[in-house]
Amino acid sequence: MKFLKLTLALMLAITCTLKAQTTNFQAYSVFVFSIAKYSNWPSKEGEFKIVVVGKSKVYDELSKVSTQKDINGMKMVVTQTDEISQIGDANIVYVSDGKSNVLEDALKITQGKPIMIITEREGLFKKGAGFSFLVLDNSTLRFDINNTELEKRQIKISKSLSTLANSVI
Amino acid sequence: MYLKFPALLTLIFLFASLCSYGQDQELDSLLKISAFTQESDLQKILNQNVTVSSKKALTTRETPGIISLITAEEIENSGARDLVDVLRLVPGFDVAQDVQFVQGMGFRGNWANEGKVLVMVDGQPYNDLLYQTTAIGNRFAVNMIQRIEIIRGPGSAVYGGSAEYGVINIITKAADSLNGVLVSGTVGAHSDALGRANAGIAIAQKGNVNWDATFYKGKGNMSNNGNYQDLYQSAEAQNLSKTTNADPLNLNIGISHKGLSIRTIYDEYKTGDPFLFVTYKNLFTNIRYDAKLSNKLTITPEFRYTNQIPWTWGDRSTGEYIFKVRAERMYGSITSSYDITRKINLIAGAVYFTDHGTDLLNTKRYDGTDNIALKNYAVFAQGLLKHRLANVTAGFRYEKNNRYGDAFVPRLALTKKIENLHFKILFSQAFRAPSIENINIAQGGSIKPEKSNVFEAELGYQFTPESVISVNAFSLSTNNVIIYQSETISTTETTEYYKNFDRSGTHGLEAQYSLRKKKWYVNASYSFARANSNNTVDTYTIPQTSKQFVGFPTNKITLNSSFQLTNKLHFSPSAIYASKRYAYNALDSNGDAIANELDPYLLANGFFNYKNLVDGLTLGAGVYDIFNQRPAIPQAYNGGYAPIPGRSREFVFKLTYQLNFKKS
Repeated sequence: MKFLKLTLALMLAITCTLKAQTTNFQAYSVFVFSIAKYSNWPSKEGEFKIVVVGKSKVYDELSKVSTQKDINGMKMVVTQTDEISQIGDANIVYVSDGKSNVLEDALKITQGKPIMIITEREGLFKKGAGFSFLVLDNSTLRFDINNTELEKRQIKISKSLSTLANSVI
Repeated sequence: MYLKFPALLTLIFLFASLCSYGQDQELDSLLKISAFTQESDLQKILNQNVTVSSKKALTTRETPGIISLITAEEIENSGARDLVDVLRLVPGFDVAQDVQFVQGMGFRGNWANEGKVLVMVDGQPYNDLLYQTTAIGNRFAVNMIQRIEIIRGPGSAVYGGSAEYGVINIITKAADSLNGVLVSGTVGAHSDALGRANAGIAIAQKGNVNWDATFYKGKGNMSNNGNYQDLYQSAEAQNLSKTTNADPLNLNIGISHKGLSIRTIYDEYKTGDPFLFVTYKNLFTNIRYDAKLSNKLTITPEFRYTNQIPWTWGDRSTGEYIFKVRAERMYGSITSSYDITRKINLIAGAVYFTDHGTDLLNTKRYDGTDNIALKNYAVFAQGLLKHRLANVTAGFRYEKNNRYGDAFVPRLALTKKIENLHFKILFSQAFRAPSIENINIAQGGSIKPEKSNVFEAELGYQFTPESVISVNAFSLSTNNVIIYQSETISTTETTEYYKNFDRSGTHGLEAQYSLRKKKWYVNASYSFARANSNNTVDTYTIPQTSKQFVGFPTNKITLNSSFQLTNKLHFSPSAIYASKRYAYNALDSNGDAIANELDPYLLANGFFNYKNLVDGLTLGAGVYDIFNQRPAIPQAYNGGYAPIPGRSREFVFKLTYQLNFKKS
């Protein structure tokens, strides 16, 4: 059993030092970009702000995109924060999987404001997020939409975007 | 981040199109984006969905069982002569002798031949109905196999009383992916004798109606040792290449249309020791229909009929039968699978089957008659919850038999893949249902089902897309162990019976490492198994140590690799190292068998394949047991048989030609 303990300890140590390699965060960023592009906010002026709450490689991917692309003529600005109080007047708040527990606070802070909340964790659209990602059995990435919540925030999504959703409430 | 060039291009194209055109069709292409980086060749294997351990498809890293998946490519590259060569490379598996030179499987340091490992071919359970054994040794047509899914752990909650320690699910090429004609042949030659000559042909067409047919026939022996002496030295030394055989014959036909599938297999296997012949004749037939009543609900009724004359044996010199019994099973089941939500699946079903034994020699072996009948029913259920923290599988099987009573076995499994890491924590009870002969010759007229408690834990990590390591520990404890015993009554008469012994089992660990590049791969494994200290099965023990059972090594190391040398030429070295074993191979002054140590062995093999010499034609040649170690096959208990002497170095030649039909 010593061998087993040593092996498990070694594997756990390696686990802590190596980075995840299998989730395709570039795909998540493509989806966020598409959601932004095919949705309408009340104001179409100034910068288009995306705040990533918590640590997620989506931030790196979106940052790369922001240097090359804009959202319907608006300059993309991507920031990252661990504090929900610092989301300011963002257009999109992207809640990373590890920060899913702040969703309730995020909803309170942004209530009634034209701020779209997208969660990395599946199923949170039922708890008030505008979009939440999910991975289907065939490994393709998809999202669920809470249109009721989005309408409360005066955000309209295109019909073609909603037809891509796994489910819409 | 690991992202292959084509996937990167796709995403760049998507960005470009979304920015430039904003058209709906570009938006639609989001539907095809994978949530994961492009699969490496290794990940394609790891991410294959398997149903063998739960009936509900999950990837190998998440399915609720310790899984080995062996592909056709690996079998072809390795030059495996038969299933024994394949299984020897799998952690925990080994081969040993029962009686009469019949070879069976050992698993995790235990003798696992009777009712402990279920073997299925294209969904047909191959274990015999009299003893629940599966004889191996130049029997299965490995060149015709598409893949082998192995549960290295209990499968009773799903498969019932023949899967106490493991399940081997063989899927043939014709039944799976072949759409054309496949011809294959293997010749194995020792320096002094022919080892085997096997050939087969398969034809299959896939379309609206799928059909397939495979025919396979072979001839071989159990060893080429020229000086075999039985344990009691009661006969002259024998040349086993001339006095033993291992001759398979198999016809496998299937047809399917939409959810309906029908398959029938005729399987014949002739083997035996120098003095007694042994034959198996089996007919398996099943009809099943997957009725998809909705997107969420599938109901599957299945009917099977099995007609066997298994383990028939008799005197080689006279051809006279000594034991010949027909065993039949009529089996009906209905299974429902309901996806309550995308994350919750429930499978439930009921089974009813009858087993009939008929003594074809009319010796009145069944309570003064020539017939015996057993009736069984079973119910089973399994729930699968895919939660973000872990997949939870919970299930049970309850089986009741009119002769031995009932058995209830629950299982609980937690599994999850989190990025590169995966873990599995498994607890299962499993049972071996007493079979026709277990019941018929039970000591005192009664026997109980054997039952095992099995704890397993696996931790795996994918270091890079091309490499993965997994380590699992197990604790296997078996109660009411059903053991065969024979006693000498007089010089001419022995009595045989089955009885329950209190406890047996092993504990240990297994580790696997796989590294797969475009042009080469290496699979390495280590297995460790130690006998439980509370074992009470005398016939498994040896006086030298209480830490291992007779016939099986404590440590096994395997290496299976393949290197693409040119566009067409592949070289595949493999090796199996087993630590010392013990065998009852001599007699003391009282005429009682005594155990001796067998040296560790290193089976080193090398095989060349020249692929697509002409389109579809592969030629292979190689050597098995390069160092001529000739590991013996000991009897897995103290049962009066000397080890089968190991076969010597064997030169193996293979030819495979596959002609694919044009897609309509």
